Formats: sequence, C-alpha cells, structure tokens
Amino acid sequence: MIDPITFSIIRHRLFRVVDEAVITLKNVSGSAITNEGHDLMVSLYRADGSLLMGGVGFLHHLTSAAEACKSIIRRFEGDIHAGDVFLLNDPYTAALHTSDVYLVAPIHYRGELVAWSACFVHVYDIGATNPGGFCPDADNIYTEGFSSPGIRLVEKGEINRSIMDTFLNMVRSPDMVALDMNSMIACNNVARARMLALIDKYGFETVDETCKTLIIKSEEKLRARLRELPDGQWQSRQYLSVEDEVCRVELTMTKRDDTLTFDFSGSSEQSRYAINCTRWASLGGLFAPLFPLLCYDITWNEGVISPITMIAPEGTIVNCTRPAPVSVATVGAIQSVNNAACTTIGKMLSASEKYAGEATAVWHANHFAVFLFGQNQHNKQAIGILTETFAGAGGARAWADGIEVGGEIPNPISRMANVETVEYTFPIRYLYRRRLRDSGGPGRYRGGVGMELSFVPHDAPDGGMHYVVSGKGSKFPMSEGLAGGYPGSPNAYMWMKNNGAQAGTAGDTPQAGSAAPEQQVVDWGVFPLMGDDALYVRWNGGGGYGDPLARPPEDVAHDVRDGLTSAEFAETVYGVVIDAGTGEADQSLTEEKRAGLIRYRKNGRQAATAANPRITCKHCGASLADDDGNWKEFAVLQETPMQSLGGPYASGGDVVLRSFSCPGCGVLLDTETAMTGDPYLHDQIFIRR
Amino acid sequence: MSYVVATDVGGTCTDTVIVEDGRSVFIGKALSTPPDFAGGVIASIRSAADGMQADLDDIFRQTTLFVHGSTVVDNTLLERKGARTGLITTAGFEDTLLVTRGAYGRWSGLSEEGLKHPVATDRPAPLVPFGLIRGVTERVDYKGAIVRELDEAEVAEAVSYLVDERQVESVAVALLWSFANPVHEQRIRAIINAHSPATHVSLSSEIAPVPGEYERTSTTVINAYAGQVVSRYINNLQNLLTQHNYRGPVLVMQGYGGLLPAEQAAGRAVHMLECGPVAGVIGSKFLGDGMGDGNIIAADMGGTTFKVGIIQDGEIEYAREPLIDRFHYSVPKIDVASIGAGGGSLISLEQDTAAPLVGPQSAGAVPGPICYGLGGTQPTLTDVLLLLGYIDPQRFLNGAMTLDQETTVRLFREQVAEPLGLSVEQAAIGIFRVANAQVTDLIHKITVEQGLDPRDFVLHAFGGSCPMLASTFALELGVQRVIVPYTASVNCAFGLASTDVMHDYSTTLTKSAPCPVDEINAIYEPMISAARQALEQEGFSEDKMRFRQSVGFRYAMQVHEIITPVRAATPLDKAGLEQLVNDFETLYESRYGKGSAYRDAGIEMTRFRLSASGMIDRPEFAARPRAGASPDAARTGRRRIFVNGHDNLTEAGIFDFEKLLPGNIIAGPAVIHTPITTIVIQDGQHGLMDGYRNIVIEIT
Repeated sequence: MIDPITFSIIRHRLFRVVDEAVITLKNVSGSAITNEGHDLMVSLYRADGSLLMGGVGFLHHLTSAAEACKSIIRRFEGDIHAGDVFLLNDPYTAALHTSDVYLVAPIHYRGELVAWSACFVHVYDIGATNPGGFCPDADNIYTEGFSSPGIRLVEKGEINRSIMDTFLNMVRSPDMVALDMNSMIACNNVARARMLALIDKYGFETVDETCKTLIIKSEEKLRARLRELPDGQWQSRQYLSVEDEVCRVELTMTKRDDTLTFDFSGSSEQSRYAINCTRWASLGGLFAPLFPLLCYDITWNEGVISPITMIAPEGTIVNCTRPAPVSVATVGAIQSVNNAACTTIGKMLSASEKYAGEATAVWHANHFAVFLFGQNQHNKQAIGILTETFAGAGGARAWADGIEVGGEIPNPISRMANVETVEYTFPIRYLYRRRLRDSGGPGRYRGGVGMELSFVPHDAPDGGMHYVVSGKGSKFPMSEGLAGGYPGSPNAYMWMKNNGAQAGTAGDTPQAGSAAPEQQVVDWGVFPLMGDDALYVRWNGGGGYGDPLARPPEDVAHDVRDGLTSAEFAETVYGVVIDAGTGEADQSLTEEKRAGLIRYRKNGRQAATAANPRITCKHCGASLADDDGNWKEFAVLQETPMQSLGGPYASGGDVVLRSFSCPGCGVLLDTETAMTGDPYLHDQIFIRR
Repeated sequence: MSYVVATDVGGTCTDTVIVEDGRSVFIGKALSTPPDFAGGVIASIRSAADGMQADLDDIFRQTTLFVHGSTVVDNTLLERKGARTGLITTAGFEDTLLVTRGAYGRWSGLSEEGLKHPVATDRPAPLVPFGLIRGVTERVDYKGAIVRELDEAEVAEAVSYLVDERQVESVAVALLWSFANPVHEQRIRAIINAHSPATHVSLSSEIAPVPGEYERTSTTVINAYAGQVVSRYINNLQNLLTQHNYRGPVLVMQGYGGLLPAEQAAGRAVHMLECGPVAGVIGSKFLGDGMGDGNIIAADMGGTTFKVGIIQDGEIEYAREPLIDRFHYSVPKIDVASIGAGGGSLISLEQDTAAPLVGPQSAGAVPGPICYGLGGTQPTLTDVLLLLGYIDPQRFLNGAMTLDQETTVRLFREQVAEPLGLSVEQAAIGIFRVANAQVTDLIHKITVEQGLDPRDFVLHAFGGSCPMLASTFALELGVQRVIVPYTASVNCAFGLASTDVMHDYSTTLTKSAPCPVDEINAIYEPMISAARQALEQEGFSEDKMRFRQSVGFRYAMQVHEIITPVRAATPLDKAGLEQLVNDFETLYESRYGKGSAYRDAGIEMTRFRLSASGMIDRPEFAARPRAGASPDAARTGRRRIFVNGHDNLTEAGIFDFEKLLPGNIIAGPAVIHTPITTIVIQDGQHGLMDGYRNIVIEIT
C-alpha cells in the first residue's frame, strides 16, 4: 500500500510527463495544424497497451492509440527492444485516418518492457489523392495515401533510413513531413526519459503499484458516479450529408446501475464517401466527450473504459469494412459520434439533480476541413488547413450561455491561427473574420456563436491557389440543443466568383445558398481561388439550452446590442420585441408576442392523450404522459422548416425543427432536428416499480 | 555619503535597499498601503534609514538615484480598476480581441483540473466590451504595402462616438499589419489628439510591434487600460519624492529587465507587468556574477506564490506566451514562472482519494495561518513549517509575534492528520513533501522543457519561506548548491539597485541565413542610432553605453523561433554571422535533442533585437574578513525538527544569524534564524557564511 502523499506526487508527475512531451511536439513540428491548432495528442500506456495517463489534445485518440500499442505488441511479440519506435496509421488496425500518424514507443526499464508512450500529429501530407490528407475524391482506402498496420521506424535508437526515405518519397512537401516525424520521435524520447527518471526516483514497484491503483480508483469513481445517475435510455440522431447522400448516426445510450452502453444500431450503411468511421474511430469518438463530461475530476485511464460498452454493427458508417474510404472520418462521422454522445450524456446529466449543472448542449458540431494548396508568395509549395476549424462555438449549459467561439469538447486545448500568420504563409488576404450573428442555438441559455470569414488571392505567383474542402453536413444543423434549446446554425461554403474585386472592403455577409449565378456552393471537392474569386465560409453556433421564450428579454436585448442576435431573430424566435430607439426590450409588446407564440405551440398536433398519466410536466406540474410508449406522443408538436428560422439557418437543407411542448403550459420541453418520417427519439428514465 | 535608493512595492510588503557609497547595503521593509502606495514607500525607506541610524530627509538629500518597481499595473488589471477604454481596429476584424483565437483565451492559464473540465470554464470578461470597439476602413498587407487608404472620416466619427458619446478615457489602436507599416495608426493618433488632447492613446505599432494581431491587440488594450493609472502613479511618486527634497533621476523597472526614466515609463504601462519579480531575477544574476555562477535557478517563495526565473550562462530567459490574469500579452519580458504555493497556501485533501494538496488558495495576510492567531482556522504551509520545528514560535519575525502552537496542532490534527490516518508529525512531514514536489515540478517544467539540466545550476533561495524548503527540493533537483543571499528577504528591491537603464528595440523581418552581412547591419543601423540618441539624452556617455544584439532564428517552415545572442563583434562580419548561425544550431539541439534539427529545410532569421543599456555604477561590496569555522558562538540551543529521511522529528542545532561570522561553517541538520526568515540545513549538508553574509549550502 502506497502512502497517499507518494501517490499524489507520482500521479501529478505522470501528467507532467505527458505535458512536456506535448510541448516537444509543438516545438519541433512546423505545421500550423500542430502548432496553431493543437491537433495532436500524447499519452502513456501500460506494458500491455492499456491506457495509463491520457493527455489533453484530441481525445478521440486515447483509446485508439491504446489499440495501436496492443496491435504492435501482437505483431512484434518477442521482438520489441529498448529504443524502438513503431509507426502505425492504418485505420482498420487502430488509427482514425491515415494522416493522423501514430508513433508508439516501448519504455524499457532495466531491460524489461514497463510502459508505452504514443503520440500523433496530423502530418503535413500523407501522399493521398488530395493534398493534406482529407480526400473528398477517394473511392477507397487505397487512394488515401501511405498506410501501415505497424512498421519499425526506429530500431534500438537508430532511425531506419530506408523506411524513412521510402515514406518521405511518397508524400508532398517531404521536408515538412520530416519535421513532423522528427517531432514525434523527439516527443517519445522525452516521454521515455521522464518516465524512466520517475521510476529511478521512486522505484519500479512503487510506480507500478501507483499506476495500478490509479486505474482501480478511476474505475471506482466512474462507477460510483454512474450509480448516482438515474437508470434510463436516451437517444440521439445525427444527419450528415455529402453531395446527394444523407447518412444517419443513430445512438441509443442505456445506463443501468454502474454501466453505460452506447448502441449505434440503426445507423446508415457505410458511405461511398470518406466520412466513414472504422470501429476504433467510433470508440474514440464516443470517449472524446465522455472523458471531459463524466470524468472531469477522474484520471483518464483504462479504469474509465471498463464500465463502457459500444455496439456498432459492422458495415455501417460507424464500423465500416475495408476498403471503405475513411480519410475524412475525423471531421466526418467521428464528429457525429462525438455529438450524439454529448447529447445523450447531456440528457442523462440533466435528469439528475446533482449533475444537471454538468450538462451541455453540443459544442462545435461541424468541423470544416479546408486545405489550401499551391505556390505561395515566397515561391514555396504550401499546404495547410484553415485552423479556424479549431475555433468552434460552445454549447449552452444548464446555467449559462455557450461560450462564443469557445472551442470544442473533444479537444480541450484547441485554438486558431492569427490572420497575420495565415496571410504570411498563404497568398491570400482576408476581407473579414468575425462572429456570426444568429448562429448560436436559441434557448433559455443561448448557444455560443460561430464565425464567418472571407478571403481573396493576394500576391499569388500563380494568380491564386486551390483548396480541398471536405464540408460534410452543411444541409443540417448538427449542434443539437438540450432541454428545449434549438440547434446552432449549419455551416456554409461559398465560392464568390469575380466578387473579390472590391479589394479591402469588409463587405456584407454573402447570402450563401442564394441562386445568384456568380455564387457557387462548394462543400465537397477541389476548387480554384483565382483572380477576383473570394471564398466565403461560415460555421455553426453551439446548441441552446431550455426554452428560448424563457430567456430574459434584457439578455436578448443585450445580444442584439452586441451584434450576436438580430432584431428580427429576437422577435420571431425569442418573442422579444426590441425598441429601435432605446435598444431595450419593449415589455408589453414582448409579453404579447410571447403569449401568441405559446398559443401557437399549444395548437400543435397531439398524437395521444394520457390515460394513466405517471409523467408530469416539470414546469407546470400538469399530467403529461403515460409511462409506456414515448412521452413525446402526448406532447404538442409543431414542425417548422429549419430554413424558415432565417439568418444562417436559411442555407440548410430540407429538414424540420420538431418542437415538443407541454399541452398545459406550452413550455418547450424538447426539440429534434429531423427529416420528415424519421421516428421521434425516445428518452426515458427507467422507473422502478 | 551618497546613496542609491531602491524600493519595490509588492502585494504585501514594500521593500527597500539603500546602497551607501556603492559599498554597503541596508535593507528596510514595511507593509504596503494600497490603494495609496506612498505611505508604504516612505515607511519602508524609513525602516532602512532607522537601521542606518540616519534621518530620512538626510538620506534623501544625499541620494543620487531613486529606482522603483511596483505591482501597480498587475493590481489595476486584477482588480479591474483601469480606465474606461475603447478600441479602434481594422473593419471586419472588430471581434479579434473578444474571440481570443478561439478557445485559446478560454483555456490559457488553467490548471490540469481546469483544462479537463471545459463545461465549467469561461473567458475572463474583456477589458474592452464590444460596444466600445470600432472598426475603420483601411488595409495594409503582409509586406507593409497599403492596399486600402485609411478612411479618415470614419476615424473621426469613431473617435467622436467613443470619446463624446461613450466617455472613454483611453483608446487602444490596433490595426492589421501595423508593425510592418504604422502610418495608419499614427494618423489615427493625430486625429484623436486633435479631437481631445486629454485622451490617452496607445498604438500597437509602438507598444508591441510584433506579428500576431490577437496578442498585439490584447497587449495594446492592457496598456491603454492601465495607462492612465500608471501616469498618475508615477506623477504622484515624483511629487512625493520632491516633497522629501529629492531632486535626482527616478527610474522605473520594466519587465524586459531594464530601467526607464519615469517620464518614458508612464506611457508604457504594459512593460511594468511583473517588474518586481523580474528585478529579483536581475538581482540574482548580479549576485551570481559576483560569485562566478553563470547558471542560476532564482526561486522566491512568499506568502501566496512560488516564483522562479532561470539564468543560463549569464543570460536570462524571456517568456514565450506571457499571461496576466489569463489575458495574453506580447512584449519582451523576462520569464518568471509561478504557482500558487506559498506560506499562506491552504492545505486541503482531495475529496475522493484524500490526497493532500498545497494551494493554490491562500489564507492571505488576514486571516492568515492558524498559528498567527488572527482568526485563521484552516491549516497553511506556514502552520506545517511550525509543526516541523522550522519556525520558532517565540521568535517569529524577530520576536514581533508569538505563534499559537496549541491551536495549530489541534486544528491540523482534526482537518489533516486524522483524515489521513497519520500522526500530526507524520502528516506534517507528508505535506512538506507535497509542497516540495509541487515546487520541484515547476522548476523541472521550466528547465527540462528548455533542455536544461538542473544539475548544472545553483539555486538562489529568496523570500520568507523558500530558505526553509530549498535544502530539501534542491536535493531532488540535483543542483550543486543553495545560496541564501543576505538580501534574500528584499531580493526584488536589491535587484532594482543592480539594474541598468535599458531600451529594447526589435524589427520583424524574415531573412534566410546566411545572407550578406550588410543586410543585417542595415537593419540594426536605425535602431542603434535611435538608441544612442535616447541614451545621450539621459546623460550617458559613450563609454557607459552597451549595445547587445540578438536574433530570432528558426528552421524554415517551423513556427517557434529561438532567440540567439550575437557574441561576435558588431557590426557583424561574415565570420561573425557564421558563428551566430552555429550558435543557433547548438542551442536548438540542446533544447530539442539530437536529430530534431532539420537543416535541409534551410534556416531563417525572423526577428532582430537590440538591447541598448546605459550602465549604472554597480555597488561593489567589500568582503568582510573571515573568522574561524566554528559557529559555536552563534548557537542558541537545540530543537526537534524534521530531517529528510526520518519518520519523526529529530534533534538539530539552532543558530542566530546575527551572531554568525563570515567563515563559520554549520553542519546539518541545523536551523539558522534571521530577523525575517529561517534557513534550514539538512543532514549531511554544510552551510558556510561567506564574506558578504550569504549562507552557501553545499548539497551532497
């Protein structure tokens, strides 16, 4: 038994080992995606590959890098030596997509394998069909670049040049990729050195005992927390569209006693597009929000993984089979899994008095991978993602608005580059980069707003450049609201042809989706940015929380003054009438407007009336529903075309907002983003009889 | 007689060092008196004068130089007491400040626990709200070319809106690429000045001429926000000194490690952030120069925080992404890392694991530790140090206060020892180990991360609590020796007295290396002539001027640059440039490991910096003659204290600092009481009092 003091010191040190290794990655790598966006991860694993200490960074990777270690252990059994470093990036073996290259390294103490370190960066290029790694043009995994189920890149401390050179021979900008590889080798070196220093100081037995205890304690803590939460079942559905295809990720999360099951049965068949998840990607995708939402005060290790089960039917978008293309997975179906898990976990937390404050609507549901490539103003080949994709919007919480451009849950340390950094690296000039009005999901607590940007070519030796855009899901709002909050607005990508001529003007927000001939929606594929072209991108706001009609009028008025909500939106969605003169809410007009909106809700369709009501409305106490069947059948339903919300919602596709309200008081109890004909989601707390 | 007077206004205490005839040093201490600092400054100087048995006004009459450091800017920000501030920026980018590069401004400065709990986080409220930000039409590109002329009518309209309608007192101006071409910012200042001369104006191209619009804007806003408070503060300070018949120059400490005449400092508030602790690092360097130590870890532990700075080969590290109250800023600043661990830090047990934690919450001065008997009921690190026998309850602060051991034992047992299932002694020993581990982790973070090995360093221990812990955590770090300077308790003020006047210049421009040396020398020429002119005006003759160049290097396509000092003679010749490039590569590999460099990508120079110093005469202290090795004359008794490696308290010798003589050697385990702090020497270690009354502990 280790004394609590030594225990505390070693636990803290293990996190510091990871932290120092992260800094090494950043210092050595040259990519903006690593340095500016923090698209990276470092973690420590036990000798058997189970998770020992998860670091911050993209949390999807904590479980899949564990599988990478385990897979290397199986493949190289009896042939793993001190100083070795293995490369693995095959998504069907363990990785998420080929560009997120894992370098995993055994840590030997006195000749014995005692632990592993693992890290990844999104490498500058992986030799896929499209530059930068995201491949909207891929038909299968074979066109998605270099891929290995495990190869020994460094042998007993010496880089295997023939392998490294072969690898670098297959990628664009090999100099930059070499820097990425160097950064990951250096990162593993630092992790090993610091881990060995820790063992030297406290002795192997003590450190090993602490690691075991840490895992046991994490499991105990998570199971205890689950027991405190109500038993029940919560559902969530995510739509994601590419071109003419619409896919669904369906999730039913069931909590019984101290276990949690995520069942993705009913999700779409795997897609012909590269948005698919392999099994490891889906598993990582559900853990990424689970760690910060349920384990914010628990060490992230194997103990957290044991109480969780995932069911993901083979051949679906959440467990695709080889050779389905997956290069867009990390901004594709993984994100839908993130969002769905965030929503079901949020619903479960909301159902608990103790933990309601931890519930959050979805943050930044839709990354937009736009990779610029071409010759830059310094006459160099440049490839790089718009790191604005790491500047998502926060979802609303049960007690506060979402954070404007506040980031995302799956990566606690994301950020974006300065405009000046981008303009120095690429031959472009921004016209604006600013917060996007009316993008935050309406609610008692409003979702944080997203942003919009536009840029034109500037000083480009080739007259401009090209970009690869993997903008799945722009037809659907994906940042689901919670407890009656609306979803945040959808993404949009527009090619403004011959429109950048008014160089330097801030310009008005283009009406994305408009049919004007000089504008073209560009959400999937490779497009030019030449001459007087401009590219316009806007991204989603966070989901709202609670009934928008319960938002205090003065908060709505404040949002209008701050440019976050338009006066029209304030009136139509929040029922708040703003006095144009004072900028304050007009009290009597607001009351009148809100009363009208409540009347409209109550006039909605009600499929059934309660015969034996056991479920009551928590706002007015009125009997609401029987407890067999779905409570939503007993609520009043209004279906509103999502586009009719206006503002940035107008560019979405053919999808409705379902509003389920209490027939008694008219308070909005829940919302769904739905395609007509899809069944209602069914959330229920199991009542012990 | 002639005196140099240095005062440092800290959060709790105002410290003074008076150097007499450049040879002897006297120290003074008084409580700070916020919000009016004047009382504390005068009381502190008087306390030093008392020690000299001199009259305050006599001292002032013979003072030739007054040097000052202060937390005024830090406090203005922390307490949100700055001016009503507006921001003018490039149209289309009005949200840059508020958006903080996305989540960056939300998570920066959070602990591990905070990072892992995003739902509970938010940004600090901005210093300028949205309603006071105005965009104006204009555009400069990456090479400084004007793409769109400034719309002056819009500027006039914005100024009138901010100043007349919204009553802002201070305006920050931060436009895209202004560091490459400042003309639009300068024109905006002219328009504001013409409209309302009393309005304070801060230009980003002057305050922080570096790439990266978010950090540059944030820096400029901080400057604008605190600018008026600082102008007023410095004005009041000068008046106060005039009242006391002081007529000489007043110099104010800057975060980059130099002094500026008060009149210039007034316009550059942001440069005063953390200037006190920075002066502490300079003081450490000065001591190290005298003792022949080039590699120093300067550690200071006071009531609420533990601060540490690094000196390597006589050079001081600069901070990479400095923060104040979770706001980013971007000016050259000496790196001082800190954690919330000090004497007043509260001890708590983690809820589920019962693992003990020290800090970051602090009991502050009131109610303070339990043992002070001022109403504190929660154990602090100071209470633990008392329980370990390090603090003498009868002789605290030279006997000014008697400590309540009985209540301390009782409350500590109830709140810490019993929940841990340990005896009071064992629990106290455990907490002491945790505190040492936290401090060690921080020092590891800033040394090992930079590729520095603590075993190559000596450790300077400053502040009230550090000399009690240093001999223990030094062992874990593996440093060679611990030095507790005679001036340990007033280290920042001492640092002020050993700092030069310094002007910092930098030019951001990318050149590939090597390039013709003339191109580099041409970059430096205007900076040097501006610096020479400034120093001349301040009365420095040519032989008192020092120009030091350093260049920011990186491998092409990398993001992080490494500042590499120019060691060769300047202006550079070809061989000098070659040496500089080699130095960069050596520095790079020492930081990131062999094989991490990627020469094939090419090497770039991205920033050209100049530090221009006006040398102030350094005090040259005379060493006192050495007496014999035996410290017996200073021995006052024996007491049970915690000795490393023991499970219970162990007998140790107790010594009176005031009675020790240079040359005395004390064998550990032992405790030395000074009037202000306590020095602990662990088993197997030896502490020598040197000729300057520093205690030098050899770590074995």
